[in-house]
Amino acid sequence: MIHIKKINYEPSEHETETASSSYLMSLIAIIVGLPLPIINLIATLMFYLGNRNTTYFVRWHCTQALLSQLSLLFINSFGFWWTISIIFTEEIITNKYIAYIIAVLIFNLTEFIATIYTAIQTRKGIHIEWWFYGSITNFICK
Amino acid sequence: MKKILIQGIVTVFLFFGTWFISAQIDWIKIFKIQQMTDKTEQKLGELFWEVLKKNEKENKNTCAVTSIDSIVTNICKANKIDRMKIKIHILTKDDVNAFALPNGHLIIYSGLILNSDSQEALTGVICHEIAHIELNHVMKKLVKEIGLSVLISMTTSNGGGEVVKKAAKILSSSAFDRSLEKEADIKAVNYLIKARVNPEPFADFLYKLSDKEYESTKYVTWISTHPNSKERAEYIIEYSKGKITEYKSILSLKTWNSLKEKLKD
Repeated sequence: MIHIKKINYEPSEHETETASSSYLMSLIAIIVGLPLPIINLIATLMFYLGNRNTTYFVRWHCTQALLSQLSLLFINSFGFWWTISIIFTEEIITNKYIAYIIAVLIFNLTEFIATIYTAIQTRKGIHIEWWFYGSITNFICK
Repeated sequence: MKKILIQGIVTVFLFFGTWFISAQIDWIKIFKIQQMTDKTEQKLGELFWEVLKKNEKENKNTCAVTSIDSIVTNICKANKIDRMKIKIHILTKDDVNAFALPNGHLIIYSGLILNSDSQEALTGVICHEIAHIELNHVMKKLVKEIGLSVLISMTTSNGGGEVVKKAAKILSSSAFDRSLEKEADIKAVNYLIKARVNPEPFADFLYKLSDKEYESTKYVTWISTHPNSKERAEYIIEYSKGKITEYKSILSLKTWNSLKEKLKD
């Protein structure tokens, strides 16, 4: 799911700090964004916009952090509005709903752990590529 | 590009796969959600009935209670409904009204019984309310009007007087959705037919109460809360057409008359 890629480039202290912060940003946003998933995306998007013209290393990690939030936004938003409809409308709790919430929790938890790990490694200047998101980021960041 | 696509598809499948596999487990049973819902409904039913009991006068006349009980028991027996689930309460009030509360409490105002031309008409109204109970319309309506969170907080914080009163008012004097009303009407006709009670007087009763003369009286709550009574009467007649023609009365004429006499007193 996650793999370390050697790059022919030694990022500076400032770069590793900023790249690591892009993950931390999404981490903090997850906590705030759990009840309102769009916050995750806004936070990482703002960070991305602020750093898109910096060095490759920073840009790459900001993009990966942003992309990972995008897919979470969809699944979390769906779960969020489903929950709201159960609380405020005649919709009832079903096995399908509980199963969905469990799937959402598993994906969020995986993302959460991966984010912490990547933030630590990136801070050390190690380049971490995620499954799927890493590939898209490679495709976007030239 | 191909790699991204494959990885993307695998990720999507992974999510939906987790969802699908997890959905095969009976979480409702594991988390005892049904039991919790039943308990909430039970508590709500008790709360609403307490409020009504405080503000209205319950008629405990043996003849009245036994007669209505006979009607309900007969309907339940013919339709395989758990009789213990329905709790009948007759309240002394001029309003022509009947309504269902959570947990199977069925409230009938004496005004309804006195204004019913026949026992079949009254049985029709009772069947309509039993249908609301059986189809879980009461809880659906409450959740929609008040919200699940408020309902649960009502049961956990010993009511909260005004909210309970407001919710009880919603149940006694506001209509269900049009589709739910029709569903309850059709179910009521099925109940009547299975119990061999003629559904026509029920339709006639709706037609009569929707008449302008009756509409102007302030007591016809059941009709004002159930709009389009003429239309309802028509589809009840239409639906019951061609069904069995051999009908019977649940109460004897003597008992029916004596019920009305007792309520007049």
